[in-house]
Amino acid sequence: MNVGVAHSEVNPNTRVMNSRGIWLAYGISVAILHVVLLSIPFFSVPVVWTLTNVIHNLVMYVLLHTVKGTPFETPDQGKDRLLTHWEQIDYGAQCTSSRKFLSVSPVVLYLLTSFYTKYDPVHFLINTTSLLSVLLPKLPQFHGVRVFGINKY
Amino acid sequence: INHIVHNGGLYKRPFNEAFEETPMLVAVLTYVGYGVLTLFGYLRDFMRQWKIEKCQNATEREEQKDFVPLYQDFENFYNRNLYMRIRDSWNRPICSVPGAKVDMMERVSHDYNWTFTYTGRVIKDIINMGSYNYLGFAQKAGTCQEAAAKVLSQYGAGVCSTRQEMGNLDKHEELEKLVARFLGVESAMAYGMGFATNSMNIPALVGKGCLILSDELNHASLVLGARLSGATIRIFKHNNMQSLEKLLKDAIVHGQPRTRRPWKKILILVEGIYSMEGSIVRLPEVIALKKKYKSYLYLDEAHSIGALGPSGRGVVEYFGLNPEDVDVMMGTFTKSFGAAGGYIGGKKELIDYLRTYSHSAVYATSLSPPVVEQIITSMKCIMGEDGTTVGKARVQQLAENTRYFRRRLKEMGFIIYGNEDSPVVPLMLYMPAKIGAFGREMLKRNIGVVVVGFPATPIIESRARFCLSAAHTKEMLDTALKEISEVGDLLQLKYSRHRLVPLLDRPFDETTYEETED
Repeated sequence: MNVGVAHSEVNPNTRVMNSRGIWLAYGISVAILHVVLLSIPFFSVPVVWTLTNVIHNLVMYVLLHTVKGTPFETPDQGKDRLLTHWEQIDYGAQCTSSRKFLSVSPVVLYLLTSFYTKYDPVHFLINTTSLLSVLLPKLPQFHGVRVFGINKY
Repeated sequence: INHIVHNGGLYKRPFNEAFEETPMLVAVLTYVGYGVLTLFGYLRDFMRQWKIEKCQNATEREEQKDFVPLYQDFENFYNRNLYMRIRDSWNRPICSVPGAKVDMMERVSHDYNWTFTYTGRVIKDIINMGSYNYLGFAQKAGTCQEAAAKVLSQYGAGVCSTRQEMGNLDKHEELEKLVARFLGVESAMAYGMGFATNSMNIPALVGKGCLILSDELNHASLVLGARLSGATIRIFKHNNMQSLEKLLKDAIVHGQPRTRRPWKKILILVEGIYSMEGSIVRLPEVIALKKKYKSYLYLDEAHSIGALGPSGRGVVEYFGLNPEDVDVMMGTFTKSFGAAGGYIGGKKELIDYLRTYSHSAVYATSLSPPVVEQIITSMKCIMGEDGTTVGKARVQQLAENTRYFRRRLKEMGFIIYGNEDSPVVPLMLYMPAKIGAFGREMLKRNIGVVVVGFPATPIIESRARFCLSAAHTKEMLDTALKEISEVGDLLQLKYSRHRLVPLLDRPFDETTYEETED
């Protein structure tokens, strides 16, 4: 599909999170996940909320912080091949608006979950570890850091 | 976003560009589409890895299993799982001259586009809405063809040398004088390949210590030339004069990055018509900025030469400006002249410098004689020097076709990008499945179109691009419009929320402009 290609946008992946409507699509997909989980008859409401939170954080961790590189060939000979999607957003510029949105949304979900699980200790432990696992990689200090060499190449 | 600009007398005619925003529902559904495709892509990859499904990709042989892999698996993901599914809309083999109608070899695929076989049938007379044949000079009969055939029998087909060695024919000198006269500049030079003109000449003009300000959506050749030159490149937003002015001010105030020395040269790279958006550069404002901040302008008229302006002299004539204001006027002969190659025009000192220092002048073979004759004949035809009014009629026919086609598409309710007067018409499709569907449905109805998707365009802006031609008659355009409307209803492509009031319903009144009906 590289018809008339090579405008100055070297890596289109960097702009995906800024495109029109993607924040809305993200919110809608989390809502749909929640409704689907709610419709399963033998889960109580706190369990559903914890499950939503955990599944959301797991999917976010895999998509943003595990998968590296681009699904298509870029004209810059693979400069971003070792970078995760989070590190590629806006070519590595920190604290842009889509980065802020993606950092705030797990926190909002966590607050809602803590409310609906009535601050039960077991649920609290699970939700907090899950939240930390998805917030720590987003810190600017963790840009490009690979702990214990996991996921380096 | 709809701009109608007058800008205090800089523009002598209304500059009407529109880039309607993506409807929110369509954007969300597009992401859903890509999400579903990604999920299925992972599923199929899983099945291929566990040998449940046969892997059709090229893989290493058994002996080479421990070698470094052929390609990184993930980089090929998009190619395997999205591009392969709709691959039959590209690389279609045509077997006649690409005029207003073209013949195509029919091909079928029995394994979902991994391999193609030719049925042997030739689909005849497909209306060609994809060729850059703006003035209709891609013909197999006519004065151009006869002249080119005569020169072929006289000079042969090959030149076998570069311009600097034994390849400088008298035909080349004649061509260059003609091009200089056509553009209204002092001197010009012609090269064998349009892409090579840009990528090999920009390094000759700028180097380290210079600044290049290039538009966001510049073509690959300009980007490559800018990168090869070693100059600093800064990018301004597409056709946005405030962004360009800010960059110019910053550059002059702050100078080079570390040393704060003044820049040796500042070169602004713009194109006449941007082929992906159909927008025309705001040339009066660019020239005003260039004069104010004392920088140079490089104008790439690949798509606009021959296609804009009352006598086809390009975007400079379209705006009524002086060709001497543009420092380097570059263009190609591929689009409106039906030949191949590119040219650069400007002051005599500049062109003499390029004759010695440009890579394509020194190392690349010069233009082939029949091609040169085609350019000479078609250019004389456009200028009217061959004694007929055919050239002028073609330019006018193209302008009429453009206005008519764009107007009708807008009335039908499609979202069309770009300027009112540009013969390149991008029609927005948005969703990935519609890209393949549109290409195939149009071919079924005997119309050939070019479709483009991500990553060549932003993720939610995939489009079909129509290139109008003076060779298209009104009947052909009406047939094409009818089919496009049918396919648009079938695929639900009529997204536009601003429909124009059809022209016939209003009383004739010269002073009213477009009225939109919400």
